[in-house]
Parts: sequence; C-alpha cells; structure tokens
Amino acid sequence: MKRVLPPNLTDREFDLALKAFAKVVGEDWVLASDQDRSTYADIYAPGPEDQWPPSGAIAPGSVAEVQEVVRIANRFKTPLWTVSRGKNLGYGAAAPRLPGALVLDLGRMNKVQHVDTELGYCVVEPGVSFFDLYEHLERMNANLMMSVPGNAWGSVMGNALDHGVGYTPYGLNARHICGMEVVMPDGGLMRTGMGAMEGNHSAHLFPFNYGPSWDQMFSQSNLGVVTSMGLWLMPQPETSLLLSMSVPNEEDIGWVIDTLTPLKIQGVIEQSIFVPSWLGKVVLMGTRKDFWDKPGRMPDWRVQEILKQNKLGFWTVGVRLYGDEAVVRAKADVVKRAFKRSTDIPMEESWWRQGEPVDVMDPSNGVPSAVALQMGDWVGGRSAHLGFSPVVPATSKHVLGQMRRSKKLIEDYDLDFYASFTIGGRFCNNINMLMYDRDDADGVRKVKALFDELIDVTRKAGYGEYRTHLNWMDPVAETFDFNDNAMTRYTEVIKDALDPNGILSPGKMGVWPAAYREHAQRGKHS
Amino acid sequence: MKRLSVIVLVVTAFAQNVFAEEGAAPPPMMMPTYQMRAPLPEGDRLETTGSGEELFSNRCGSCHLPFGMGTNVLTVQRLALGEPPEMGLLTNREDLGAAYVKAVVRNGKVGMPRLNRVEVTDSELERIADFLGRGKP
Ligand SMILES: Cc1cc2nc3c(=O)[nH]c(=O)nc-3n(C[C@H](O)[C@H](O)[C@H](O)COP(=O)(O)OP(=O)(O)OC[C@H]3O[C@@H](n4cnc5c(N)ncnc54)[C@H](O)[C@@H]3O)c2cc1C
Repeated sequence: MKRVLPPNLTDREFDLALKAFAKVVGEDWVLASDQDRSTYADIYAPGPEDQWPPSGAIAPGSVAEVQEVVRIANRFKTPLWTVSRGKNLGYGAAAPRLPGALVLDLGRMNKVQHVDTELGYCVVEPGVSFFDLYEHLERMNANLMMSVPGNAWGSVMGNALDHGVGYTPYGLNARHICGMEVVMPDGGLMRTGMGAMEGNHSAHLFPFNYGPSWDQMFSQSNLGVVTSMGLWLMPQPETSLLLSMSVPNEEDIGWVIDTLTPLKIQGVIEQSIFVPSWLGKVVLMGTRKDFWDKPGRMPDWRVQEILKQNKLGFWTVGVRLYGDEAVVRAKADVVKRAFKRSTDIPMEESWWRQGEPVDVMDPSNGVPSAVALQMGDWVGGRSAHLGFSPVVPATSKHVLGQMRRSKKLIEDYDLDFYASFTIGGRFCNNINMLMYDRDDADGVRKVKALFDELIDVTRKAGYGEYRTHLNWMDPVAETFDFNDNAMTRYTEVIKDALDPNGILSPGKMGVWPAAYREHAQRGKHS
Repeated sequence: MKRLSVIVLVVTAFAQNVFAEEGAAPPPMMMPTYQMRAPLPEGDRLETTGSGEELFSNRCGSCHLPFGMGTNVLTVQRLALGEPPEMGLLTNREDLGAAYVKAVVRNGKVGMPRLNRVEVTDSELERIADFLGRGKP
C-alpha cells in the first residue's frame, strides 16, 4: 500500500515525525514500508483497502514509550489509531478511520502482569491474546475460566474495550473490566478506580471510582490509551452441562427467546446465550458452492433440504449451565420444564466435568479458538464479512420484529440470511453476518447499500447498533439522535478539552476532534 | 502428530461433509481439544534465538496446530488434491520453501490474513520459514 500522509502534513514533516518516533521505540518498531501498511489494512474491507489507509504503525514496548509516542504525536500532529492486537475482523481490523493515521500497535506489550486465583481476576497488557492468557492460566493451574469471542485470535483487552461478546456467565466482557491504567491524550498517565491511590490493594476489585467512574469512558473510545487493565475471571466450575436442541422454524426464535430471557434474568441461566441460525453451522461445513453453486440467495427449498440432510433446525439453541453437579442438575430440570411448555423436542445433554478434555469449537467452554474464521472461506475468492449488529429487547415481540425486518431486506438484496441473537441480559445482540467476495465489485456495492438501508430501517423501528465497521461509524453515531445528537456532542466537548490536537483515534465511533471534524461523514452514507 | 492430524479431519464438521460427498460413512465425532503452543522464546524478538519449531508453534499455532482453522482449511484443500489428511498440517509438508512461506505470511493467501512485523518479526519469520521449508530456499 502506497504512502498516504496524515492530513495537513508534508512528506518531510512526516519523515521527521517517524524519526522522532524511532528515537523512542527503535527504528525496527516504526513500521512504515508499503508492505507494513498493507499488513495493517482492513483485509475484510468492503471496497478497496486504501479507503482506510494507515500511514504506518508504531509499536512501543513499554508504558513510558507509549507516553513519549503520544507526546511526539501531539508535537508533529500525527494522529494515532490505537489497537491492542488489531484483529477486529468484520469491524475494520487494525485499519484507522482517518486516512493516514498511524496505527499505535500495542501488540508488543504482552505480559500477563498478575493473576489472583483467590479473588479471580487478572491484570493484562494490551498485547495479551486470548491464547496467551489461556495458556498462562493453564500453566499456573489457576482454575479460572475465560470469556472468549468466536474469533479468539485477538486480544483480551481490545475485545473487551470494543464491547466484545463472549458466551460464558462473564460474556459481557466490558462489564468485567475493573481498574485501568491509561495514557492520556497529552502523554500523562492515570489509573482508575481504587488504583487511583498508589499501592491500593483493591485496584481491580471495586468497580467504581471515588467520584465519577471512568473505566467505561475508555471503551469504544478515543479519550485515552489503555496500557493495562484488570479483568475479572470466573472460577472454573466443577461441571458444566450443555443442553441443546434444534428448533425447526424461522419464527420459533420468538418462543425460544421468551423461554430463555426469564431464566436469564432470574439467574437460572448465567451465561450469555448464543442462538445462531442454521447458516452459522453450515459455514463451517464447507464452502458455499458445495451447497449451492448459483449466484443469488439460496432458495428456501434448498435451505430446507440442507437442514434435513444435516439434521439441523433453523435455529440451534445451546444453553450451558455451570457449577456444582447438584446445582447444575437442578437448574437443568428448570430449563427443561420451561422448554416443555412450548415444545416436545427433547434437549440433548452433554456433561463436562473438571479434568475432562474441553471442546474448543464451543466458545461457551471459555477456551480460545480461531476456527470461526473458517467462515472466511464460505463465499469463495477473497471472502469476507461485515456484521450488522443492533441491540434489541430480549422479548419475542422485538426479536421477531428485528428478524423479519432484517431478513426481508437481506433477501431483497438477494443475499443469504445468517443471524444470531445473543441474550446478554434484558437485551439481545443481534448479529447479521453479511458475507461477500472482496473481488466482486458488484457484490460489495450491494452489501454496502444493504448496510446503509439496514441502519435506516432499524433506526426508524427504534433500535441502534452496539458496534460497527469503520465505514459506518458516522452514520450509526447519527442514529443516536436524541436532542440533536446530544450524546455525541457531549463526547466531542470532552474530546476537544482532553485532546486539543485530536491525535487519539479520530473518528472512533463517530466521535471527531475539532482538528479533523471536517473528515466526519455526517449526513451521507457509503 | 499424524494421529492427531487425522483426528482434526474427523472432528471438523465440514470435513464430515467431504466424507458425505464421497459417499463414505461419516467417521465418529471426536472432540477437538486445545493444543498448547510452545512459549514465546525469551529475549529480543528482533534477533531471536528461539528455534523455528517453537517459534512456529507460538506465532502460527493459533491457526496451524491440530484443530486450528488454518489446518482445517488446508486439510480440505489437500484432500481435494488427493493427498492424505495429515498434509493439512504445515509441519508435515515437504513442498514448502522458505521464500514461499515468507511471501504467504506477509501477503496473506485466500483466508489467511497478512501478518505484520509485530505479530511475527522478520527475524522470527526467517527461522519459521527455514523450519517449514526444511532448509529449502
Ligand atoms: C468469524 C468471526 C467471529 C467473531 N466472533 C466474535 C465474537 O463472538 N465476539 C466478539 O466480540 N467479536 C467477535 N469477532 C470480532 C473480532 O474479531 C473480535 O472482537 C476481536 O477480539 C477484536 O480484535 P482485537 O481483540 O485484536 O481488538 P483490537 O482490534 O486490538 O481493538 C478493538 C478496538 O478497541 C479499541 N482499543 C483496543 N485497544 C485499545 C487500547 N489499549 N486503548 C484504547 N482503545 C483500545 C480500539 O478502538 C480498537 O479499534 C469475530 C470476528 C470474526 C471474523
């Protein structure tokens, strides 16, 4: 990828900035060759990768280096785009929202600083991957369980900071962050929570500040660079039990949600419950052409045939219960009784007990795997996907409404419908996977137009997204429109006060600093 | 290693599909379990002293050990070429050369993303490529 300069900088100024960065991190960790830029591009980009080009990347190896890099960035006005491991596939990977921003790659800072097995938490640096933490916990026999996303190739920190979703009782990852160390936009350093007191023993235990609390202010945010973070971990349960069933029809998702949500709210089911549609299973069975070799969406008769051949329902329900065997048994009976009220389909039981091997293909086991990335092979060619991810109340009325609305639109665009609902509490994260071949320009155009329309119709119906790809950060921010987008305006007042040069991740979630506000795509879509 | 690689094939649902298409009975389901990677060798990653084998395990292992996504995808590709399933494991391949390995790592290939120099340094990649290429350039 050719060099794209940060806005308002000349080649000479940029070179001087790179030299200054090299003095701090070492020349080898200033990554600004054409090849380096390509390795930080969005490999799932809907459209040409150079739509979101980095000018390069800087990889500091310590907190002090991060602070110095931020100070230099202020001096030279080189905007930085912070990532921990930058594996945000489907949402832009490591690529920056603002063309020419330098990726601040924190992947080298990869120490698990601390694990407390008694109170169940860890303190991690940004570059710690889910695999790193898992192996660390295994090697020390910590008896603690992680919450992992479907794609666990990324970082524990980046995932949690981007409001990532896992499938254990600790599945709302951002909720389990406790106590952070953050480099401020001026290069200063602060700690949040009890850790704001030097040497405080409760730094990663008590979830609030003395005064207003800031932990969540640094998630999905451009207000600081997090350099370490406490994260609560669940004690490894004595047993777990997977109760699963396939439900045959599209509309069954209604009663499934109405059955599961009360159990979740009561605490009978503790996990974030993942309910995927059939394609979620089938994408791992091969490539699309193995099942349907024509362009356009698979006809319903063929879908029915595939379901029958593979003994699948339209939705798969998998509920995992965790804890002592007697408790799990009792909970299982409650869950089964609740399902009995709506269906005769039996729930299959699959027990796991401590010491037994764990199935890595099921993220509700808290074991990292990157196998979900196989869906990248589904469409063929350089296939990729986007997630359209609205949040809906966890009741049949809202879930069915959302499912019908997005399904109709997705099918109007002649694409296969693939959705999941994850019940995280009183709400569901609804992820609609839109898959495309990156080299099929028409297909990409179609997916982008569909995405625009999905945002609009979903907003009109009263719902918004929890997370989105770079291309739609501004349009989605605009849908949060109460009182003339008061929330975004408020964040931008804070942004300008803390970061007058606008150097930290300009444009993240549609929050633009004054210095680059003209780059906001407000009022226009892709 | 060979035994494990066969299990990889057996466990992945999509591999079952391959069997189904060939008309053979699907093999029994076995559980894909976690494969520990070797630890990242200590010391300066810009001039690593780690072996190619341990570096491969640590840097590429999330996808290319048994049960990894890269192994699964490559197993299907190798089967389609009439090769045995264990050829899905890069460590079993004899046809790789160091230059090819380096090119795929930096440029990506189909589902494999490009890896940056923080993920794998040039020094680490040299040793990994040499290990997978079995000394071939
Ligand atoms: C097939 C597939 C399945 C997936 N399944 C899931 C899933 O189940 N759940 C899920 O949540 N995601 C899922 N993803 C999306 C994504 O791959 C993961 O969320 C991944 O963990 C994000 O990459 P990362 O952890 O390297 O984060 P990064 O890319 O490093 O960070 C993400 C964002 O967080 C912010 N950030 C990161 N580090 C810092 C820091 N130190 N300071 C301040 N801000 C920071 C930045 O804005 C950054 O852009 C899936 C993707 C694919 C392709």
